[in-house]
Amino acid sequence: MSTPFDTDGTRRERRWTRRDVVRTGAGLAGAAALAGRLPAAGRAQGDVTFLSTQFSPVEEAEAMRSILEGAPSPVEFITSEDGPFSDRVVAEAQAGQGTIGLLGALHGGFATFVEQGLLTDLSDLLPQLQGRAFVEQYLELGRFGGQQLSYVPWAQATYIMAARREALEFLPEGVDENALQTTLTYDQLAQWVKAVNEEAGPKFGLPAGAKGLLPRFLQGYAYPSFTGGLNTTFRSPEAVTMWQWLKDAWSAGNPQATTYDNMDEPLRSGEVWIAWDHTARIGGALRDLPEEMVAFPAPRGPRGLGFLPVIAGLAIPKNAPDPEASRAVIEYLTRPEVQTTTLREVAWFPAIEAELPADLEPGVQLGANAVQATTAAEGALPSLLPVGLGAQGDAYSKVFRDAFQQIVLDGDDIQGVLDTQAVNLQTVLDTAQASCWAPDPAGEGVCRVG
Amino acid sequence: MSVAARPAAVPVPRETAIAPDRGRRARARRKTLGRALLYATAALLALFVLAPIYLITVTAFTPRDAVYDYPKRLIPESFSIETMRFFVTSTGVLGSLWNSVVVALISLVLSTLIGTPAGYALARYVFRGRDAFRLTILSTRAFPIVILSIPLAVSFIDWGIYDTVWSVALMHTALALPFTVLITGSIFVGVPRDLEEAAQTLGCSPAQAFVRVVLPLALPGLAAASIFTFVLSWNEVFAATILTLRERTLPALVLSSLAASPAPFRFAAAWFMLVPSLIIIFVIRRYLLGMWGRVSR
Repeated sequence: MSTPFDTDGTRRERRWTRRDVVRTGAGLAGAAALAGRLPAAGRAQGDVTFLSTQFSPVEEAEAMRSILEGAPSPVEFITSEDGPFSDRVVAEAQAGQGTIGLLGALHGGFATFVEQGLLTDLSDLLPQLQGRAFVEQYLELGRFGGQQLSYVPWAQATYIMAARREALEFLPEGVDENALQTTLTYDQLAQWVKAVNEEAGPKFGLPAGAKGLLPRFLQGYAYPSFTGGLNTTFRSPEAVTMWQWLKDAWSAGNPQATTYDNMDEPLRSGEVWIAWDHTARIGGALRDLPEEMVAFPAPRGPRGLGFLPVIAGLAIPKNAPDPEASRAVIEYLTRPEVQTTTLREVAWFPAIEAELPADLEPGVQLGANAVQATTAAEGALPSLLPVGLGAQGDAYSKVFRDAFQQIVLDGDDIQGVLDTQAVNLQTVLDTAQASCWAPDPAGEGVCRVG
Repeated sequence: MSVAARPAAVPVPRETAIAPDRGRRARARRKTLGRALLYATAALLALFVLAPIYLITVTAFTPRDAVYDYPKRLIPESFSIETMRFFVTSTGVLGSLWNSVVVALISLVLSTLIGTPAGYALARYVFRGRDAFRLTILSTRAFPIVILSIPLAVSFIDWGIYDTVWSVALMHTALALPFTVLITGSIFVGVPRDLEEAAQTLGCSPAQAFVRVVLPLALPGLAAASIFTFVLSWNEVFAATILTLRERTLPALVLSSLAASPAPFRFAAAWFMLVPSLIIIFVIRRYLLGMWGRVSR
């Protein structure tokens, strides 16, 4: 029989000879080595590397890059997920050699760096930022309860509701499009959702997917609006009423909602007609279909209109290569005109008190109106994102997710679930040594779950 | 010839012919059936792989509004490269594509250069601690890379290769090595030792025998191992995200931005990530099949 060495005379296929192997190997190695050595194009001294957990979607990142083109020094805007973001900053601090000049993240994203003392004090930058009316409350957040200003407020967002116009004809009696902006209550919302469900199917949605922000709905909207508190009223009778409401509304909502990470796409495709989500996660639908959408504040409950402002900040790591250049970028990004451009381009709102421009894109205008209606609402009850939880942030949200799962999806007894979860909640707060934050009354020591 | 002869003559061949004919037909039918089943299975398997690729491709090239149509369409009605163009021209995509290719090639070369001798040694020589060595190689993969992330980054910063294609390539080489060693090891076991000895009796030095006799026989395995390394490196996200900042590979770049990006971009990026690896596999496949055929004959 033929040995492996036989050349098959009938088929002249290309043979892989030794020489080929050596040649290809050498070629690959050469090419790789060459490529590895090639200097990256466009790398100049004085560039600021700007690492951000915000504005990571492709379009937003591109918009941010075009905004940064006007900065005093060239800025390279790089986005990162939360985990690698903090790993990288910690690694650079440990190596004592930094490449990152500027950090952009939400308030909570800076907490661990503040604990480890990795950020520069920016207090001395404030006097230079004249003519910028920062919201004092936000600056206070940036101080993390101490003297050092760890980050400068960059942009803010909040959560609003949006609906497709088809849904408006099912509005309950006494509620019209104007009333949506000012007086919609949680009970009316539930009636509305049910009316839509009867005629057109389940078209109400909350972002209850794995990456959805449902816990924020509970923490900043439902709980404060129904109970006037959060941790201190966690298992109060009012809380039971709130969960009852949610169970009721959910039963008329789209069951697919447990897979929604953002409400943008279900709204666009029409799977959902009425939704609540972060302005950035609902803004795409508003921007692309401004004619078919209405945006309005979250509803109000017995205790007022609870809402959650979200603050993104700018910080400089201690071993930034060129701190002065980084400061100049902060100065640039907080200029009133740049803040309004930011609103225009990425639909995040100014962190300073600035006049909104009159010529906003219709979809952005819709969102801006809803945000303004929220903050200006009578009985507006601003809450803070959980403060001082540090690494316990996920565990904290998990308590709310679990409660939601047990009460709404599994149909367990509400008071029973709240009593068990209250223990878990207290454990989280104890571990983090966190004091109460708004809307709970601020107090001494660790926050007590009520 | 005669009229009477015919009826007599005809049945005879018929009688004898019919029986084997029936058998043949039955066999043919069974063969056809088997073949149909084979093809059906093959088609099903192909569909399993091709359907998602088809959907991704179609959606990547539909206009943005059509992507949100509900219910979705199977056959596209309009064609647009708008999303694709935006994605491809957005900052860093082409650069990171290049980085990905470079990193994958460096990893491929390094892991083959380092892994092949190790595999050969494992296959040919009996030495103390051989089994322990095998296990140790595998156990490196049991180590979760996540807990290594900060120390790794710190070391690479110290060595001055942080944020270069080399750091990622070294990491990917380390990740791929266990498989390269084990795969090449089992390939070398399959090459008869007699051939090597025969070559040596005919005047080859051990090195020559390896290069002239063993290596050509082992090439398909090496090719398989290198495809594996390439694909691993091409898809690897975590190390690439931690070890690079500006010099990102495509998966690292795409991961950070896609999770929150609208659906059209996800499809565009998926397609963009899919195509180069398909091309590579198609190119290498020719050699792989050709060589497998030759060796197994």
